[in-house]
Amino acid sequence: MVRHSPVTGRYVTIDVDGMEYKVFYLQNGTGTPLVCQHTAGCHNHQWRGLLEDEEITKNYNVIAYDLPRHGKSDPPHNQEWWKTEYKLTADHYVNFIVKLCDALELRDPIFMGSSFGGNVALQLALRRPDRFKAVIPVEAADYAPGFFLDWWRHPHANAAQVCASGVWDLMAPQSPDMDRWLTWHYYSQGSEAFKGDLYFYSVDHDLREQLEQIDGRKCPVVMMTGTYDYLTPPNVTENTARRIKGGVYIEMTDIGHFPMSENYPLFRVYLKEALRIIRERKGP
Amino acid sequence: MAVEIKSWASKFKNLTDNDQTIAAMGKYYTCTFLWDMTDRKVIIEMHDGKVKNINIDPGPLDAYDFALRASAQSWREFSQPIPRPMFHGIWAASFREDLKIEGNHLIMMQNLRNFTVQFELLRKCGVPV
Repeated sequence: MVRHSPVTGRYVTIDVDGMEYKVFYLQNGTGTPLVCQHTAGCHNHQWRGLLEDEEITKNYNVIAYDLPRHGKSDPPHNQEWWKTEYKLTADHYVNFIVKLCDALELRDPIFMGSSFGGNVALQLALRRPDRFKAVIPVEAADYAPGFFLDWWRHPHANAAQVCASGVWDLMAPQSPDMDRWLTWHYYSQGSEAFKGDLYFYSVDHDLREQLEQIDGRKCPVVMMTGTYDYLTPPNVTENTARRIKGGVYIEMTDIGHFPMSENYPLFRVYLKEALRIIRERKGP
Repeated sequence: MAVEIKSWASKFKNLTDNDQTIAAMGKYYTCTFLWDMTDRKVIIEMHDGKVKNINIDPGPLDAYDFALRASAQSWREFSQPIPRPMFHGIWAASFREDLKIEGNHLIMMQNLRNFTVQFELLRKCGVPV
């Protein structure tokens, strides 16, 4: 008997700031669109648990895409991209996400991302509260310096292993071995994009002077951070949420910076609470 | 509780040499590093994924490629079966606690996969401070 997953994959071509991207995404479920961004240097398999979570997909249309240059989404086909160093900017990242949601004709989507996906969720809440029903920034902060490092693609070291083991202790020691090593495996596949992603994460993303401009009553912002995250420790996320009008902070105990990937059964407990809060504020 | 240094070295060598995760990619895991636990220092010499030597009383001119330095209390935290947040790895502790990474960082990065796995073996054998 064939054991197919209900999750399906498709490509969609979009133009963003002159770049032509053929974007790969995984999808399952019906209802409110829940758009999911993976972490820097990774790909959409991080959301594999959520994509097959029947309790959530019966009410939410879960869409997890690969950002260009990650997983099955190529760099732009209309550019000689290999001739310039990749550095993701906040402007381009936001434009990409909005263009993708437009192309998929998503109405009132909830956007959820982790790490650099969480930071761009804050950017979306600031710049396009009209386009999103709510955002769930996971492991995010107004500012996250210190990770734009040359080590991620140093030619004298094995970049795949440096990236994969360099993020190892962003995960909690309690998370299951299999899931931590799968996350390690994903990270061994994305080293060429990791540093460029972290340009956004640690350099271009800086909302320290703009948090008060985010209106969490218009576009709810529910932030969640694990206690083992050393890049954006709980107090940093909490302080960020506190400065957002109507911002909500949920602390996730005994989990790290890749919660959806390193321990989905625990993460879903907190995710369900975040979705409940959004339903309460914005309806189903 | 502090573990006697000779028995610690023996246990740590045994754990390393029999660790399947290190052995799976042990070839070329060759480097020498100092662990400065404030009250104790050890220099561990690795060759192709096995412990070649543990120097439990390093002299001032004994050589190593890179060093981890932290307080004895931090090393005791690293060696808990489930360490507290921020003591659960060398990156976490260097970003948020008192761990200093010194020497030739490139050699540590070249061996990062196995070094990370080996560091976590302290959770099984404790530390000699």
